[in-house]
Amino acid sequence: MPKKTTVQGSLENVYCDKCGKIIGFKFGVRLPRYRGNMLSLINGYYVNVDGVEYPQDKLRFIINGKPPRTFEEIKKAVWEHWDYQTIGYIFVEQEGGLSKGEHTVIATVSNFEQYGYRPGDGPMSDQYKVDNVIVPGPGGSGFGGPAVPMVQVLE
Amino acid sequence: MGVKRGVSSYSYQNLIFDLKMNWNDFIRTIRQDLDTDGVELIDGTFIPGYPFMSQEFEYAWKNEIARWDMKSVTMDIYLDVLQFRDHVMNHAEAVERLKRDLKIAARLGFQNVRALAPCPEDVIEACIPVAEDLGVCIGQEVHAPIQIVYDPATDRNPKGVVDPALVDTIIEMRLKHNTTAVALVPDMGLFNNWFTPSQVAQAKRQTGDPDLIDFIVECREADMAPDELTAKVKEKSPNANMMALGRLIQPQASATIDQFAKVVPYTCSIHGKFYEMVEDPTKPGGYYDPSIPYDQIMKVLNDCGYEGYINSEFEGQGNRNDLPDEEMFDEREQVRRQHVMLKALGAE
Repeated sequence: MPKKTTVQGSLENVYCDKCGKIIGFKFGVRLPRYRGNMLSLINGYYVNVDGVEYPQDKLRFIINGKPPRTFEEIKKAVWEHWDYQTIGYIFVEQEGGLSKGEHTVIATVSNFEQYGYRPGDGPMSDQYKVDNVIVPGPGGSGFGGPAVPMVQVLE
Repeated sequence: MGVKRGVSSYSYQNLIFDLKMNWNDFIRTIRQDLDTDGVELIDGTFIPGYPFMSQEFEYAWKNEIARWDMKSVTMDIYLDVLQFRDHVMNHAEAVERLKRDLKIAARLGFQNVRALAPCPEDVIEACIPVAEDLGVCIGQEVHAPIQIVYDPATDRNPKGVVDPALVDTIIEMRLKHNTTAVALVPDMGLFNNWFTPSQVAQAKRQTGDPDLIDFIVECREADMAPDELTAKVKEKSPNANMMALGRLIQPQASATIDQFAKVVPYTCSIHGKFYEMVEDPTKPGGYYDPSIPYDQIMKVLNDCGYEGYINSEFEGQGNRNDLPDEEMFDEREQVRRQHVMLKALGAE
């Protein structure tokens, strides 16, 4: 069910502590379902800001008080829960960040949470998801569907 | 003694998502809105740091349950088989997960865990000794399209995902092990044989073809078979979005009410699934769900002497999720209405 999984008003540029320059931007996200799940099940995010798609290697995930992690690192967090009412943050690496003015953020999760086994070897099967790299797309993977776009003006 | 009432946290999912209801509010709301005591918890919704539940949460949960004179009835547990990502969780690992969940449920004082319908039977069977030791019953969900009376000719379950005959499997498992530590949790969507006003309205919005939807409703009212109706819809509107029309043409019911008595003696808890409670024009202050025949369901439960809980599971939110926030369902009001109905039909 489409819920507003991108946290309204959370978009901001991120400054480098040491150099003082803007190194990217971040925004908050919530799980689109009715329960939390293990962090390892988060396969990644499809991120599109103002029509620009950002590949996975430009993204970091910030949650549970830990330093920003790539989704390859998140994949290994097999015993770490994303509590349902907790906000996670997606950091997008982009020198100079976002300009002042209105921005439209779409962030759709690819989540491998499920209700049990899916046998076989087709694209919906469990084994396929283990054996292949599934690139997060705008339609989302798993439950939740496409994210509701968030529009925010940066001052 | 009669049918007892409770609520699953699933019913308030939008309030919980919007951070307008935490777990304390959830427990208190059941007592204050509904004057009843049954609590059904979805583990991953409210247990911080699951599965490493802290003693602080355990004590706080039990305290809140005591404060409002509530009962921890059923904890809904899951089976995310891709948790480890480098391999598919095998059944031995799934057994470990179920054992952990049983221990968490016991620490929180729950009487039952609800295992999902796709949980393999050997996983459940391997956990019987632990369930017995802890005094927590493993209730396997019976959710449409699973049939109460398995019929391969009309079975609609995807192959290999679920045991389509799980009702018989669980009953036989109880007899084989001479135990009450395994049971069934039937979901009342099994009897979802009609549609709600919000489903009809949403189909009109999604298709942009209100005449087609009215036609479908008329054909259903004339008792037209789903296959014939599907063919007529395709003929009348070749480009119709059949996905949006599926539940209107063929509701998910996979059992008939006369079959229900078969599972009641083996039931530890019931999912009181509902989609929309509307006012009953024949009974001022009364309500009913047009999509599920609760008058018949409650008659069976009363006749069978069922004294367990039926826990509200409101699932109608999705039928308005394409509308502005102010037009979303009021989940607390929907649950309140269902409990007015359940009491009127004989629940405690």
